[in-house]
Amino acid sequence: MVVAQLALVANGYRDPHNYFAFQPFNESSTYAVELVRVLDDGQRVAVPNGRWEGYDWNELIDWGPLRSPWRQRHAFSGVDAVVDFLDHALDWMADNTPGDTETRYWEATVTYYRNARGPHVTVIRSHDREVGDP
Amino acid sequence: MTATVSSASDTQWRDQFRRWLGEVFDEPASVRGTAVLRIVLGPCVIWHLRPFLADALDGITYHDRFQQPWWPWYPNAPEGLYVALLWIGVAAAVLMTVGWWSRIATGSAFAVVAYNLFLSQTHFHHNRAFLVILLAGVALCDNGRALSLDALRRPPPDDRALVWPIWLLRFEAAAVYFASGFSKLIDPDWVGGRVLHDRSVRYQSEVRDALGDTLADPVLEVVTARAFHWVLSPAAVATELFIAFGLWFRRTRLVAVWVAVAFHVGIEVTSHVQVFSVIAIGALALWAVPSTRDRTLVTPSRWVVWLDWMARFDITVAPGASWCMVDRDGTVLEGREARQFVRTRLPATFLFSRFWRYR
Repeated sequence: MVVAQLALVANGYRDPHNYFAFQPFNESSTYAVELVRVLDDGQRVAVPNGRWEGYDWNELIDWGPLRSPWRQRHAFSGVDAVVDFLDHALDWMADNTPGDTETRYWEATVTYYRNARGPHVTVIRSHDREVGDP
Repeated sequence: MTATVSSASDTQWRDQFRRWLGEVFDEPASVRGTAVLRIVLGPCVIWHLRPFLADALDGITYHDRFQQPWWPWYPNAPEGLYVALLWIGVAAAVLMTVGWWSRIATGSAFAVVAYNLFLSQTHFHHNRAFLVILLAGVALCDNGRALSLDALRRPPPDDRALVWPIWLLRFEAAAVYFASGFSKLIDPDWVGGRVLHDRSVRYQSEVRDALGDTLADPVLEVVTARAFHWVLSPAAVATELFIAFGLWFRRTRLVAVWVAVAFHVGIEVTSHVQVFSVIAIGALALWAVPSTRDRTLVTPSRWVVWLDWMARFDITVAPGASWCMVDRDGTVLEGREARQFVRTRLPATFLFSRFWRYR
């Protein structure tokens, strides 16, 4: 157990989430996301306030660190952790919105300030999904 | 000559190491520290499970929101079973606190909290990880031998058991302070004050809301000044590292405990860290020497009996008598000196005692 804990502490310098590595308050970074739906024909549709086709980002994701990401937010556990979670959240949303028959994939343009330095921009996207009738 | 001295020193080290291994793995000692921690952890488990239960009462579980599994093979409980598990966790926490089936209750609370944590990476917080570790360590120890209904119903001969889980938990607790302090020490943005300064500037509206304009103005003038964080940040890092190492040594232990309590109170006032502050302060009980009632005390005051949770003294209450305390090494303290010493060893009075005089 001692060796495992030491290994986890060391792993924290590699793992963006630093699980069990105990590095709280590691950054004072912020981020904001521009979310778009990319349709089958390539059209890019903005998602104002996270609402589209009867869905609501905040209701679906329902998790504090990713709530209302289109506003400037504190990056819980650091920018890298948030971007990783956002990446998974986009995939999760693609898998859990069967009523949306138009969106091919989701794309998030993340603008972040790491410890007040920036802006830096990174783009992430969900996996492709089948479009058509639900 | 040098070789002889070196060889004697080696032998001494080996003997000391063997003695320490014996203390850790073979010799039973008091488990009262883990009993105190068990009592602290019980309400913290309920506090930790409360948001999950509140959601469950509204018909929402982790199934209904974004989740990120740790491992694909990890079993997902159906909704009804998941909610039942949460309630089992609450029941176990209550039993832990009162010390009924102490070890089973602690093990059950650990199982529920750990299961819930590993359902989704979105459930992870450092304080929850620390809670899981503490619960595991306390469950490994025969923690019901003191301060429990178990001990009242079937009194054990004494409060001693094997204490290797206490040493394990000591390592874990020190590792938390060290990992946090060291990661900040090697991060120029942190140790240079940039991280804390930026947070202070960003959250100043919350300070204003909490204190009101009149009080907030002078406070903010200080805490949003860049220079303030050139001092505060290295001091915070040094504090964590001092606690990580200071707890291990007898001469620095009481100071480290005092600093740790102040540190956690400070964090709790300025940030919301869920159960972390309380469990970290509770875990400080693990650093008490695992022997009990090995100092004798004659006192006219009954309050010492009520406040001696760590059983530091073999107490005789004698109305009208003057204070007299005999320490482990035979040192006798009388009157005011004895009273001051006693205050340094009672958790409720320790913070305001002259602990630095009686290490």
